[in-house]
Amino acid sequence: MATSTVAATSDDKLRLPAEEKYAEELKYLASVDKGQKPFSWRLSPRMIRTFILGATPADKLDRPIAQKFFGDTSLVERAIVTLASDRGLLLIGDPGTGKSWLAELLAAALCGNSTHVVQGTAGTTEDHIKYSWNVAMVIASGQSHDSLIPSPIMTAMKRGEIGRFEELTRCGSDVQDALISILSEKYVSIPELRTGDNVVFAKPGFSMIATANSRDRGVNDLSTALKRRFNFVTIPIVTNKKSEKEIVLFRTRELMARNQIQLDVPPTLLDILLQTFADLRETAANASNEDQKLESSLSTAEQIGVLEDAILHSRFFGSQELGADTLARSVVGTLVRRVPEDVSIMNKFWHAVVEPGAKKKKDKSWESFTDGGKNALASFK
Amino acid sequence: MAKKIEQLTADPSLSALRDQLVAAAQAFTDSAQSVGDLLRAMVDDVERAAAEPLEIFPVKHHSPASALHMSQRLRARPPKVIFMEGCEDLTAALKGLEHCKFPVALQAFAPEAPEFPPDWTPLNLVLPLTEFSAEYQAIAFCMEHPETKLVFVDRSADHVFQWSPRDKLPGAEDAETDDGGADADSNSEDEGAEAKDTQNLHGGAVGLRIGAMEPTFGDFLEVLLRNARVSHYSEWWSQYVEGPTLGADYATYRHVLFLVASLLRRVGSRAKDQGENEQRERYMWSRMRQWLREKKVDAKDAIHVCGAIHAVSPIPEFGVNATTEWEVPPRTKTAWLYGVVPSSYAAIEHQFGLPSGEIAIARQTWEKGHKAIGVEPFLIKAPSKHLAPTRPTKKTAATAAATPATTSKKPAPGTTSQGVATIGSVGGSAPSPAPAGPAAGPVAGPAGVRLHDLLMRPPSFVEGDDEQLMGWCVEVVRLARKNGYLSSTADTIAILHTSYLLARLRDRAHPSPYDFREAAITCLEKNRVPGKRNIARICDILLGGDKLGQVGYESLPPLAQDVYDRLAVLGVNLKASQIQRALLDFTARPDQLPASDLLWRLRYLGVPVVPVMGERNLGTKPKQESWDISIGKSQHSLIQLGYEGITVEQVLEKRLKVKAFAQNARTVNALEAAEDSVIYLKSGRLARELGLRAVELLKAEAGGADAPEIFQRVRRLVHYYRTVGLPDWIKEFVATGYQHYSTLLPEAFTDRGVTPQQLAAMLAFIFTQEALAFSVGCQRSQLLISVQQAAPEDAPKRALLWAAQWVLLLKSEDELRQEFTHLLSQPLLLPVFPEYVAGFLLALEFTPRITRLCVELMTRAFSELPEEVLVPWLPKLVVALRPLGPGVMSTLVKEAGLAFPRVAKELSGWQFPWERQAKTAAKPAPGPTAAGGAAVPEPPGGAAAPAPTGPALSPAEASIAAMLRAHPEPLDGIAARLGIDGRWAAAGAVSAGGAAGPTTGDAAQQGAAGEVSQDAASATAGATEDVHETARVLVDHPEAVRALAAWIGVA
Repeated sequence: MATSTVAATSDDKLRLPAEEKYAEELKYLASVDKGQKPFSWRLSPRMIRTFILGATPADKLDRPIAQKFFGDTSLVERAIVTLASDRGLLLIGDPGTGKSWLAELLAAALCGNSTHVVQGTAGTTEDHIKYSWNVAMVIASGQSHDSLIPSPIMTAMKRGEIGRFEELTRCGSDVQDALISILSEKYVSIPELRTGDNVVFAKPGFSMIATANSRDRGVNDLSTALKRRFNFVTIPIVTNKKSEKEIVLFRTRELMARNQIQLDVPPTLLDILLQTFADLRETAANASNEDQKLESSLSTAEQIGVLEDAILHSRFFGSQELGADTLARSVVGTLVRRVPEDVSIMNKFWHAVVEPGAKKKKDKSWESFTDGGKNALASFK
Repeated sequence: MAKKIEQLTADPSLSALRDQLVAAAQAFTDSAQSVGDLLRAMVDDVERAAAEPLEIFPVKHHSPASALHMSQRLRARPPKVIFMEGCEDLTAALKGLEHCKFPVALQAFAPEAPEFPPDWTPLNLVLPLTEFSAEYQAIAFCMEHPETKLVFVDRSADHVFQWSPRDKLPGAEDAETDDGGADADSNSEDEGAEAKDTQNLHGGAVGLRIGAMEPTFGDFLEVLLRNARVSHYSEWWSQYVEGPTLGADYATYRHVLFLVASLLRRVGSRAKDQGENEQRERYMWSRMRQWLREKKVDAKDAIHVCGAIHAVSPIPEFGVNATTEWEVPPRTKTAWLYGVVPSSYAAIEHQFGLPSGEIAIARQTWEKGHKAIGVEPFLIKAPSKHLAPTRPTKKTAATAAATPATTSKKPAPGTTSQGVATIGSVGGSAPSPAPAGPAAGPVAGPAGVRLHDLLMRPPSFVEGDDEQLMGWCVEVVRLARKNGYLSSTADTIAILHTSYLLARLRDRAHPSPYDFREAAITCLEKNRVPGKRNIARICDILLGGDKLGQVGYESLPPLAQDVYDRLAVLGVNLKASQIQRALLDFTARPDQLPASDLLWRLRYLGVPVVPVMGERNLGTKPKQESWDISIGKSQHSLIQLGYEGITVEQVLEKRLKVKAFAQNARTVNALEAAEDSVIYLKSGRLARELGLRAVELLKAEAGGADAPEIFQRVRRLVHYYRTVGLPDWIKEFVATGYQHYSTLLPEAFTDRGVTPQQLAAMLAFIFTQEALAFSVGCQRSQLLISVQQAAPEDAPKRALLWAAQWVLLLKSEDELRQEFTHLLSQPLLLPVFPEYVAGFLLALEFTPRITRLCVELMTRAFSELPEEVLVPWLPKLVVALRPLGPGVMSTLVKEAGLAFPRVAKELSGWQFPWERQAKTAAKPAPGPTAAGGAAVPEPPGGAAAPAPTGPALSPAEASIAAMLRAHPEPLDGIAARLGIDGRWAAAGAVSAGGAAGPTTGDAAQQGAAGEVSQDAASATAGATEDVHETARVLVDHPEAVRALAAWIGVA
């Protein structure tokens, strides 16, 4: 796999959106794209797939395209195809499985703009989905197109682009249902405007990508009507060690590039991290009740967080080199969220799984990892 | 070299495959030079295989393309012999295929195999066959044309096991899973993905397949799948190989398969698989050369049907003209049995790790394929139908008519032309070349010649495919609705639309079943599965679902046929795949009794027949029974039994004997076998044989560990035999047991390794069977000596010893009681009292006489033990009483019923029965025994020891007592009148539920209420005069008495 050397940050933006980060790649793909493009899409579905999953020799492209989302091919294909159909796309999965990342990539590849985002919270109102008014202007000159503040979704409709809705299930069911008419009629009417053009129609190419957290299942369940208008694509937790390794490396490199850190992760340490998480997941899966489980979802994103934390720590405070003890401290520090519950779970895990495992392996890094973790656990009071 | 490859895959539909192969080759080589080398080697492989004089027909298992080409090839030029990959000894099972409903599996079975690791036995090997496989076509052809011989040439079943590594179970999955393909199967644990009920049909059998052709090297598979962007190898195969070759000509088909196999073999296999492959190829070629030599058949008249991977073998023994010979290693002495067992699609998928639903999709491809090409497939038919002309089905005829290009539906055998290379989109996965014209090329013509033709074919559009897809979309929505999904017509449209979009995204001209399946999942599956099945499962069902094969009656082993015959009287459909309910009423239909016997035997042997109502015990006479019979569904278990014997009875007898005569058999096993033989076989001869074996084992038995079970079984058997006459073996067993256990007794009493339960069971055996034992010459003196020798130390065993002594009249009841009283009198001995009682309770099993004493002891324990001993004992008591069984418990309860008063009225005059007569026993020290409701007033005779006990008070009475205590004046007055110097008892007595006042006060109350009891009257007998005086005073001043009456609620 060609490693991405794309700058993830620029002088004035801490984090570049996907369409800017991969602008060059997108431009190149558009130039070689001969496939049929639905609506006003910038790329054909096949090229979008290539953009997200990376190029294979069979694609016969003359520059490498890195893989950006690590997951089942059919899952990505289903997502792309859904956007070409009449329905919205709802990506559902555990926290940290890459839902938002996939949504961003899809939006960037489809329409070159992934920033029409509404973040769903308990405080989200219908105004955030449709439109609101600039009160001062309304008082001064009445309700008009000028005093209207369109929501990101409405902007996407106007431009025929992709609107994104993050954490759809976090907002109330009544608010969610505002999406129903947008998804089926594809227009928003503005009754306050009495002029003729009081309806905003969606241009061809408009579609919605929503994400929902499967851990929130049942908090604000989607209404049946809304469910019908979305195709659900479930993103599983990556359990394949090989792909997980790739994801962790890929993301960590990218994050490190932000801080201009060129620190290579020793392969042994990466293995230690992956193994520890795999063991933790197994322990959690066999736990008989919720009290024996960590609060963390133990997702891939969590691993990336741990690794990033460890690298930063060793870069700025340590010996410039990533050590096993630093990694252990990060693992413990990141995963312990509730004191003392999580501490006791980790304590048990460390002594029952990590230590015997390390003894069996007789590896120096493992030993120092074990000790580092114990020290970190001892520091919780 | 790439050019050469291009030439081999000249067909435009194969260009995608070519890209795939080159890409995979590149991924595993480091430079352009070595890519060239690899490709050159691959081309060499292909040329070598194609040039072999003995025509090699490469196949992949369950591949419709292979099957179609096979049927065309055989029609075009029938060979004299077909050599087929497959265990050579399985030829013996072929005959049985004639009467079967496919899928079925050829089976080799070895019930005993001393030369293999013991945990492998019984050795079991299956080779599943489906109708749409090349091997089926070949077998069917040979059956129809006896002039063509079919010869299996691969290593024998014996060699399969010989060559398996000894340290793990044969056929077990490799521990070293490769990450690449592993996660594709993990989705079977999804919510709603119910396990298919036939998937374990093959059980632990080792599965073989003809033409296994999958990469075993994980990294290679991963690259292949990633390049092709498919999720499973099967999908890769069907998209890049199956689809294009289905319509290709024979030569192209062969070349493509050789080419793919060559790549798989060179970079896609692990080293150890390579070794195994090579050994098998040596075997096959040795056998083929040998056969051709012996029968003097020209190699040109033979076909070798084998997995494509074996066609590109690098071994020197390859080819008919090879000079290197290889000695076939000898088989072991294992005796093998052969037969046919039913199989199912789910079982095949499960066995070989195929994605769920693959076989069903393959069947659809096959059906569409042979209809479109217009070739009548060969069918295995029952012999009687052999001569009937094979008529094309209506559908085939219609298809043929609709495609006028195919002039002849069925080319005459012998001609070199065939209905070649026709509809490419058959199976819906290839760019669609149209039906070819009648001018078909020669069978083995070079691919390049026909390139032009292929390019000239107009794109075809098969309406049938569209209709089929539409049908699926409608049907899946209907099924989803039925399974609780809220799906509607809108979803049908969405699925159709999504299928097309997916197909286009994946370079397919027409949506394949895989596309349809994913589209349905995308559009219908939401965050929760509402019912039992999820959409993936529904799609599997829709696309054909599971199909269960069946072995025809004629092909069944004699045992199974016999079962079918004998169960016919029940009138249920034994061939149905659903569970059948049979109701048997023996009073109305005594002829059903033998069938019931057979069902019980089958159940004992593990055949899935389940009694819903009815039981079989020693001596039961059944009246009515009902059974759930699922023989049709689990024919294999019946067939497996068929390997063990000719009739069910024979197998049962064999099993029972094995159980009893095993090396490490214990007495219990032999006795159990004897009991089972009586229950299920009603055979005196067998029971005797097994019983004598039990006697023999008992003699050799060292401890009493099995005594409880032996005792129960012997008691049952003796009870049963008493009604029909005792056979000699049971007498002998009892005599042996009596002597054996008597001898063991002293040891058992002292040995802590023998539990009290086991000791009790030994004693029970001795005492309950004593009469029978005496009748065959045993002497009690032996027992007496043994008991005298016994010197137990543990409390329960001591109690057991006392009980035994009592039974043997070595101890009287009073002596026994004294022992226990002694225990109760010593505070230090109190804590062990429960243990003694526990041991004593165990004795109930052999002597019901002690029941009364047990009741007495228990009562005393409850009344006299301090709470810190009593309370912890209670749970243990329950545990000790429970195993005694209903018989013992009922006598215990009955005895307790006799001992205690039945109604509250009797309570006042009641006393413990043992106290009524047991004057000799020392009275326990008087104390406040009024704990709980069991407290009783002392009898008047016991006035010498006046305990301040009173009747238990109800709450109402207690409140009156409290009032009297608060206002003692009237009672004091009455007492004074009566001349009794009554004193009020301490207040504590009240809270203990004792007397509320002076006993005289009580008496006066009762008198005032007009219920002057005899006791009260006699208490005042000494003062008759005073009574008269009192009566007079009371008559004069009735107020006080009335007030009293009102207080105590008497009108």
